Amino acid sequence: MPPMRTTRRQFLALTAGAAAAAGVRLDVAPAFAQSGPVKLGILAAKAGVLAPVGESGLRGVQWATERINAAGGILGRKIELVIEEESSPKDTVERFRKLALQDKVDAISGAISTGVGLALGPVAEEMKAIWLAWDATTQKGVEETMPKPKYSFRSTDNECEAVMASLLTARQWKGKFKTVAGINPDYSYGRDNWAAFLAIMKKHGIEAQVVSELWPKLGATDFTTHVAALQQAKPDLIFSCFWAGDTPIFMKQAHGAGLTKSAKLVLTTGGGVHESLKKDFTPEGAILGYNCFYFEYAKASPLAREFVRWHHEKFKEWPNYESDHGYFTIVAYKAAVERAAKAASGKWPTQDAVIQALEGVEAESLSGARRYREDHIMEATFFQGTTTHKNKHDFVTIDPVETMTTRQIQKPSGVGLYDWINGWKV
Amino acid sequence: MIGRAATVVGLIALVSAPFVAPPYQLTLLLPAFAYGIALLGLNLLFGTTGLLSFGHALFLALGAYTAAWLTSRVGVRSLEVIVLAAALVGATVAVPVGLLCVRYVKIYFGMLTLAFGMLFYSFLYKFYTLTGGDEGIRVLRPTLLGAPFADLDKVAFLTGPFYYYALALLAAAALIMRRIVRSPLGLSLRAIRENPDKAGFVGVSVRRYRFYAFVIAAVFGAVGGALLAVPTGLADPLLAYWTHSGNLVFMLLLGGFQNFLGPVVGALVFIVLQDQVMSLTAYWRFVFGGLLAVVVIFFPGGLLGLGRPRERSA
Amino acid sequence: MLFLVAAGLQLVFGVQKILNLACGSFYALGAYAGVTAVTWALGHGLPAPLFVLALLAGGLAVAVIGPPLEWLLRTIDDRDESFQLLLTFALVLMLEDVIRFVWGTAPVQLRGAYLVYGQVTVAGSTLPVYNLVVIAAGGLIALGMGLGLTRTRFGRIVRATAENREMSAALGVDRRRVSRRVFTLGVALGTVGGALVIPATAAVSEMAIEVIVEAFAVVVIGGLGSMRGAFVGALVVGLLKAAAVATWPEVEMLAIYAVVIGVLVLRPAGLFAGATS
Repeated sequence: MPPMRTTRRQFLALTAGAAAAAGVRLDVAPAFAQSGPVKLGILAAKAGVLAPVGESGLRGVQWATERINAAGGILGRKIELVIEEESSPKDTVERFRKLALQDKVDAISGAISTGVGLALGPVAEEMKAIWLAWDATTQKGVEETMPKPKYSFRSTDNECEAVMASLLTARQWKGKFKTVAGINPDYSYGRDNWAAFLAIMKKHGIEAQVVSELWPKLGATDFTTHVAALQQAKPDLIFSCFWAGDTPIFMKQAHGAGLTKSAKLVLTTGGGVHESLKKDFTPEGAILGYNCFYFEYAKASPLAREFVRWHHEKFKEWPNYESDHGYFTIVAYKAAVERAAKAASGKWPTQDAVIQALEGVEAESLSGARRYREDHIMEATFFQGTTTHKNKHDFVTIDPVETMTTRQIQKPSGVGLYDWINGWKV
Repeated sequence: MIGRAATVVGLIALVSAPFVAPPYQLTLLLPAFAYGIALLGLNLLFGTTGLLSFGHALFLALGAYTAAWLTSRVGVRSLEVIVLAAALVGATVAVPVGLLCVRYVKIYFGMLTLAFGMLFYSFLYKFYTLTGGDEGIRVLRPTLLGAPFADLDKVAFLTGPFYYYALALLAAAALIMRRIVRSPLGLSLRAIRENPDKAGFVGVSVRRYRFYAFVIAAVFGAVGGALLAVPTGLADPLLAYWTHSGNLVFMLLLGGFQNFLGPVVGALVFIVLQDQVMSLTAYWRFVFGGLLAVVVIFFPGGLLGLGRPRERSA
Repeated sequence: MLFLVAAGLQLVFGVQKILNLACGSFYALGAYAGVTAVTWALGHGLPAPLFVLALLAGGLAVAVIGPPLEWLLRTIDDRDESFQLLLTFALVLMLEDVIRFVWGTAPVQLRGAYLVYGQVTVAGSTLPVYNLVVIAAGGLIALGMGLGLTRTRFGRIVRATAENREMSAALGVDRRRVSRRVFTLGVALGTVGGALVIPATAAVSEMAIEVIVEAFAVVVIGGLGSMRGAFVGALVVGLLKAAAVATWPEVEMLAIYAVVIGVLVLRPAGLFAGATS
């Protein structure tokens, strides 16, 4: 029989504990959970040449959302995704307006195509809707039309891949090639990347003669004439920033004509469709870029490995870079909200506070730490390497894997791309 | 007359919408107005003259790029000037294209117009220093009757002054088109549709009148295109793609090409429907294709032709 | 292989005067089906060099949508041709989503089948033998069609119906059966064409919309209603593209449209106008 004093102490302890517990619960989380879910609008491409990347980005977004919600959401509020389709600029602007005006989402994540990217910038400012783009960062979009955006947060520059590939080319193959040929999709991305490559070759003092410049339509499915032209021109090195279904087709047809043996290959973005680059027609020794995510990176984080495993189990495919872009926009938003909430002493932050918090926010993406610069451009790590057949797949992978961050290959804010390149000390 | 009463009711509904409807729905109506204007023109070609153009989007794109060029590159912001310029550009391009196309009928006409539409698309895409290429050219906010409405943000601008401007333009376009359809020109065109040979015998210059119809349709299309580009804020090459022309014909059929206001109704219904269906399913193209098939097979007179035997327009 | 698609378009137009916007969709269907067929067949032990048979089988298999579609188009036979054009547009939309639903959005391709027949060096350039196989196949089909149309009874009926529908009906030709067969043949030409090309490239979701424009160019240049015209048209388009790529790559697509318009202006019936123009 315990003495009365102990029982009273126990009783006091219990009530104190209960009071303390009740006090804690009265403080933070439930207040937010009662406000309903955080609505995030998503613009994902579903048809056409963008469809595979759009789907990829969406998967990254969905995985991030699932995990965040499983862990309680953002400050106790679950994320609810409102998914719309990215198509033509005109239609996508209308979907964006719908998300902002009718669905009243807290932020919008998405957009890959250059035309859409250019159109959405001003619209985000007009709608006062936070927009976290997955891609589509052209020079024009950033410099000319949106010098000081408030609501738009863009992805990494479109030229980063070309810059990195050019640097690797200069390092590995300087002096080993005399003639170059370029085969790039005929639109801003293709043109900007090719121009960047040529500028960097010049900067490094590489005297390469351009023997052929080809501009097939984006997403073309037949390159017989182009391959024939390349055969005639006999380049030592072929540069291409193909990123869509045209990549494996070109490789196939180029291989059939013997080009993959006679020329060095630089494929800045082909890693996006890596699974279709089968060993049958993709040679070893080519420089291949995977944008900001490489699925078999030896030093990948446990998070990345878990994602790759999940993706492969669910879709029987290995993920590409767009998934990571999508993933990052979600976790970055969460991090920004949490950061802003702390400053707002526990109250749910205003939109302006979230925007301020997004500037400079750092979050762990699937490929390592990423952040948004103060000028709203993303900072990330890029993965490129030399192709190899030594793996357990039927397609090529890269080994060794080179990584470069945007500090090395993306122009800093306020500087023009070519001014920046010309200012390098080589 | 039922038609007139319904039109008045519709007009009242549209005029009062900004006071009751939520902003998103209002912004949705804006492309419908623009398409309405363009389709009034297309219907002159198809409903009245019997020529189905599968490249009408060419003129919408022309109008859009005119607006873009004037606001972004030249610095002209007056919407009146833009509309006039678009009309002029549309007419200018329509002259050579029209001279070529009206030589042919039916299938050939459709194919030739499709080819011209795609030619313009390629041009817009390839000559990027001029046209911005895949990225297009921005369309900056215009002034309405000289007033910049600078204190209004874009949404308020679009759902307020611009809404009424567009509606007024649509009404004006409808009135003008009505005049044209009832004029001797319009009667001749209908005669040509019914029986080109007979019309020729009676002294109607078949080819010349078709040409006039083509140019008028082009002007309406360009004006519609300019108006369309303002809410989007961008003119891009996809506006000229042949599927965009296909959508225009779809809208026309949906509303009813035999009825004068059919095109306008078609535009409204199409836009609203597309908005709903797009949010519901990723396979909205299938739904719309099915809808078009149903309309073509069972309701060729469109919505306004339901329950009415095939009759002439007013 | 533009020829096959264009040939399909020609045939259907010649007899029924339907300009089929969906012929590109048939081409796409054949391509996707071809990949599925070959992958399945190879997985079940078909020796690699025989993959062409699986390819053809796949292409022919999806041509079964011919009869029901023809029936659909026939319901509005009596109306203005423009309606038929619109109906085919509706088909394009629907088939695009059907393809997306069945095969997904990522490009679909065959792996190494392309090089199974090895390579050959002709005039300084290396070519996969498969390319020659396709060219040969195209030529054979063209020949077959030409002979079929002129020598066989069915061919004669087809041509008679194309020239004068009412007359041939009066003479006892079962127009419906002829119509159905011709349409299905046209569809089959499209699907087989799509299937045959696929080892060299990949099936992508927007191929239907894009190929239609080139097919039109071929048909216009060659002349509507003429088999020979389709062949020549395809040749001309192919040569134009090659010339453009070799000399002034920027104008690749523009050149073709310009020639289309030029032809339509100067010789409206095309280079090889058939009697049906």
